[in-house]
Amino acid sequence: MIIDCHAYIGKWPYWPVPDSTGDEVAALAAGAGIDRAVITSTRSLFVSWPDGNQEARQAAAARPERLIAFAVAGPGELSHSLDAHRLELDNTVRGVRLFPQFHTYHLLYEPFVDLLCEQAAALRIPVQLPLRVLMNWGMPMLDLGWMAAIVGRHPATPWILSGLNYFHELRVGLALMRRYPTVYLETSCIQGFDAIRKVVEEVGSDRLLFGTGLPLQNAAAGMAKVCHARISDAGREAVLGGNALRLLKLEDQ
Amino acid sequence: MIIDAHVHIGKSARLQIEAGADMLVRVADELGFDRIFCTDLTALFYDMFEGNRLLAEEMRRHPDRIIGYASIHSTRFHQAALDELDRCRNDYGMRGLKIYSTPEATIAEPAMIPILEKCVELDFVVLAHTTPQECEFLLGAVPECKFMMAHAGGQPFAKGDWNRAIMAAQRFENLYLETASSTIDTNFLESAVAALGPHKIVFGTDTPLLDPWTQLVKIRQTRLDQQSLDLILGGNIARLAGLSS
Repeated sequence: MIIDCHAYIGKWPYWPVPDSTGDEVAALAAGAGIDRAVITSTRSLFVSWPDGNQEARQAAAARPERLIAFAVAGPGELSHSLDAHRLELDNTVRGVRLFPQFHTYHLLYEPFVDLLCEQAAALRIPVQLPLRVLMNWGMPMLDLGWMAAIVGRHPATPWILSGLNYFHELRVGLALMRRYPTVYLETSCIQGFDAIRKVVEEVGSDRLLFGTGLPLQNAAAGMAKVCHARISDAGREAVLGGNALRLLKLEDQ
Repeated sequence: MIIDAHVHIGKSARLQIEAGADMLVRVADELGFDRIFCTDLTALFYDMFEGNRLLAEEMRRHPDRIIGYASIHSTRFHQAALDELDRCRNDYGMRGLKIYSTPEATIAEPAMIPILEKCVELDFVVLAHTTPQECEFLLGAVPECKFMMAHAGGQPFAKGDWNRAIMAAQRFENLYLETASSTIDTNFLESAVAALGPHKIVFGTDTPLLDPWTQLVKIRQTRLDQQSLDLILGGNIARLAGLSS
């Protein structure tokens, strides 16, 4: 079972991307040999996160064997009460993604973030922090220091760190993984030479999650670095899907 | 024939790299690359004379696999840099120039123009870590220079803007796009080929900074025909560097 832990549906406003619907992304994933993809809608980033969540849920419901929806949470209007746009977490939500870089808020000073992290910890639902949506320097980035600080503030929350590439980014990610057993690292933007092997040597293979950035990034290229990494077959199987099955509680499906 | 047009040898503290020729050739073997174009990191960032000399020694150890780029670490060495390029061509047998531009020390300045003119004289192909805007300035001054934009805009100083890189390459006949990049955006290659033709795209990996499998697969696993892939994966750099004979 190969599970892509960092995929999207929806339009990409910066340049044309040929595939955007749930069906198209599911087909793209299948074509790359990926069994299931964890999606959110880009509508959540650019238009409205509640609307995007609805779009992602509908896409996943239409293709439950292929797509898994992660919810997106963000702040409401400042004049609204904090509860106005609260994301209700329950066991049907497989995970949550936060995008302060798109939603214009400070990750460390928004009450809904702490509330969400506490709920996610209690329910054992992962919170995914994409440092970037795709490995392109023109895109907004999450502050790496914020990422480290929020993980340290909520060490019981299961975290998925996404969008890290190399140098200090990867070193911070590895430091957080060493310090907190709840931290997972996702591979979509890790592009360094021999990087997958080095990460596995540093922190093991049981908290590394395969991701591609599909359909914004080339899925086959994302697959190649894991498939050709000089790690054990058991480690590769864990990275490509076994770890995600466990983290997302999909083992019984 | 697959030729990697962008490989580094040697040491860099900033890039956290230490790579010898034997390791690079072994990686090339694993990936099925016939030849690799190398630049020495000491020459690129610290001392061109020392680094180019070190690279020449490695070229002699692997004459069928390693092709050298002369590197210069600054545009501000004037005649000494021009003499070094002569030495790299005539004594070391190198086939091109690699140079790195940063916002703090941009090569898009008048001091670079005689260097490019020297490259034309020596029939050097240039691989430059530059932004599209820098390329436009330089090709505006020396349009006959065979100039490859390293990373095709997919680097921090160019803000990853490969769309802008394509536009620049449309404007200048001798501006080529080299593909090594952390950026693996869907449709980059198809867009570039549609706008420029496959003869303007050159494959590179940036080994040992980037994962070469990712760089190879992002070229191969696309919607391009085999003829286009053959040009991109080796034919173009062979033509530009005069290797075909």
